[in-house]
Amino acid sequence: MRVKILFFATLSEYVGAKAVELEVPAGTTVAMLKELLVEKYPKIASAQKSMMAAVNREYAASEQVIPLDAEIAFFPPVSGG
Amino acid sequence: MRKSPFFLRFLVAEGNMDYPTITSITEKELDLNALTAQVTLPSTGAAVMFSGIVRGITERGNAHETSFLEYEAYQPMAEAKMRQVAEEIRSRWPSVEGIAIVQRVGRLYPQTPTVLIICTAAHRDTGVFDAARYGIDRLKEIVPVWKKEVSPEGEFWVEGEYIPKAGE
Repeated sequence: MRVKILFFATLSEYVGAKAVELEVPAGTTVAMLKELLVEKYPKIASAQKSMMAAVNREYAASEQVIPLDAEIAFFPPVSGG
Repeated sequence: MRKSPFFLRFLVAEGNMDYPTITSITEKELDLNALTAQVTLPSTGAAVMFSGIVRGITERGNAHETSFLEYEAYQPMAEAKMRQVAEEIRSRWPSVEGIAIVQRVGRLYPQTPTVLIICTAAHRDTGVFDAARYGIDRLKEIVPVWKKEVSPEGEFWVEGEYIPKAGE
């Protein structure tokens, strides 16, 4: 299935894009997708530890299975205000 | 509409849905007066506001100068999380009347307001100071906004320390 992935702050600089689309097998978890991304974009390895994930605009656990037509986002800990 | 007592009962049962809640991410200059007016009701007697400002000269901790900050937001999630912060405020301080939470994004120079939190209530001794404080603290924990600090020495993305739990 196809997933839309958004990147913000340092993550989008490391990836070199604000958004990408990827084909992943059904049953893929957030953690599996993270590993896939590190393989594809090695620069994000340095940010991997603090990298947070949101699935459909809600903070997601690494074991969460990615649902169909999901909007995924990866970003560092927030620093607004 | 408000003349109907039945409708008013409905509003009360729904938890005072008529109290204004304003949440937004904007590139425009923050207008404190306009925003305060929007969260001021006939029953309001106190408004507490917090504004974050771009600090050009930092003396505490790692002393440094800032040329400007570049803010970025995951807008739809940020606005949803701001609404969540407002709901959390209402559940902790039910006497709070209006709530405004607005974050400005884009390139912001020293002495410019970056964020505005306003909570209003009938009186000042209702917890309204704490409510506004909670609003800014919680925004900095869960609202997906980031800032890049640009100084004469270079630039870096500021990272927060809080790690939200799944679904938080």
